[in-house]
Amino acid sequence: MGVKTILPFGPQHPVLPEPIQLRITLEDENIGQVLPALGYVHRGIEKAGEKNDYPLNVYLVERVCGICSATHGLAYCMAVEKLLAVEPPLRANYLRVVWTELHRLHSHLLWLGLLADAFGFESLFMQIWRIREMVMDALEKTAGNRVIISVNTIGGVRRDLTEEQIEETLRTLAECEKQLNAILPVILEDYTVRKRTVGKGVLTADQALRLGAVGPVLRASGVAQDLRMTGYAAYGELGFEPIVETAGDCYARAVVRARECFQTIDLVRRALQNLPEGDILTKPRGNPNGRAIVRVEAPRGELLYFVAGNGTKNLERMRVRTPTLANVPTLLEMLPGAEFADVPVITLSIDPCISCTER
Amino acid sequence: MPKMLKAVVGNLVTKPATRPHPYRRREAFARARGRVIFDISRCIFCGACALRCPASAIRVNRTERELVFEPFRCIICGACVDGCRRGCAQIIPQYHSPAYTKPEETYRAPIEVKEDNQL
Repeated sequence: MGVKTILPFGPQHPVLPEPIQLRITLEDENIGQVLPALGYVHRGIEKAGEKNDYPLNVYLVERVCGICSATHGLAYCMAVEKLLAVEPPLRANYLRVVWTELHRLHSHLLWLGLLADAFGFESLFMQIWRIREMVMDALEKTAGNRVIISVNTIGGVRRDLTEEQIEETLRTLAECEKQLNAILPVILEDYTVRKRTVGKGVLTADQALRLGAVGPVLRASGVAQDLRMTGYAAYGELGFEPIVETAGDCYARAVVRARECFQTIDLVRRALQNLPEGDILTKPRGNPNGRAIVRVEAPRGELLYFVAGNGTKNLERMRVRTPTLANVPTLLEMLPGAEFADVPVITLSIDPCISCTER
Repeated sequence: MPKMLKAVVGNLVTKPATRPHPYRRREAFARARGRVIFDISRCIFCGACALRCPASAIRVNRTERELVFEPFRCIICGACVDGCRRGCAQIIPQYHSPAYTKPEETYRAPIEVKEDNQL
């Protein structure tokens, strides 16, 4: 019988890019209870959203998250479009899919790199991030910026793609796919990687549903739920099948994200090849009045925007629920019983984005 | 082992993936949003850019015919460029280099004001 120790894991920890504290009760090397502590990076974005004019909020909500910013902009624009009864043109919807999926691709690659880093596989981390750099360049060439691309606007998108840009992006994607095909077997079949991830942090489908898990965490537990199935933007026209794994451990979550990289490349390719002609913006008129809820699939899972307008140019309320907030409770069931050395990998396996969570 | 040998030999002959940054800079992409500049000779000081700026980085004084821009507050979203009807606000691909101080840029109307530029 060992002595119980409470060990603070974070908020500053080499494996955590963002500040979250897990107070871990340890008995020898085994984890007992885990208590999360949030609140280190609260920025008051929801309140700021009530002070701004509603079109300016697009730039604000893009800064909720530094990795999936296009998804936040898209969700906010869709919510306000619902209130203003504006329908974006078809071409704008396709372009939104292109940029959102490119964001998902670079987010998943970032996560795969961080996973490699979490168990000390530095060279793999750099290899993956080198591939990610190609996606970042594609984003910068098409949208003008690497991360905060600011392409979404209420009623459509702000930039159009030329023929050369479409071809160049398709070439980049082909190269990306080639390099990923060369590198992903290393991640998924390597002895060390399997040793550190298979059977760690198992979450059953029942647990995942009960705790309200979203995104790849839920899909890795065998639940086929992806909001892209609802067919918002152009996902309905493009056709979409969620990727599901059944094991529910860290390895399954890595496999889901790795397979989603290829799915994303495929979606962008199809969206670019079938890009319809036409306008990219329907001018919105008036001020938002009423309430709207929009759910979209961010790289980490379901992202919910609630927007309430009162007929003025300021919103009455803007509420953001990010995927990590829904996924933190799963950590509290995955970690107990595990060994302390597995905490970084299990924590990382939900792809925590703390700035998102605290807004 | 033979697999690894291929990678080792490959790494010996290929060039590094990184760039010696301060000596060789990356060429900016043509459509990149580097920084915002103002062609003040076209400006009519209507203030549309200041109204649209989410970061409040632009202040326009209509009576003094003066535009003050804070480049280090600017988030380079391009909302001012979209809102400017005269083509005064522009985005160039070259980004602003970091600096120790954060000076404001003040633009004043040229002395000789053309007839069609007047309010």
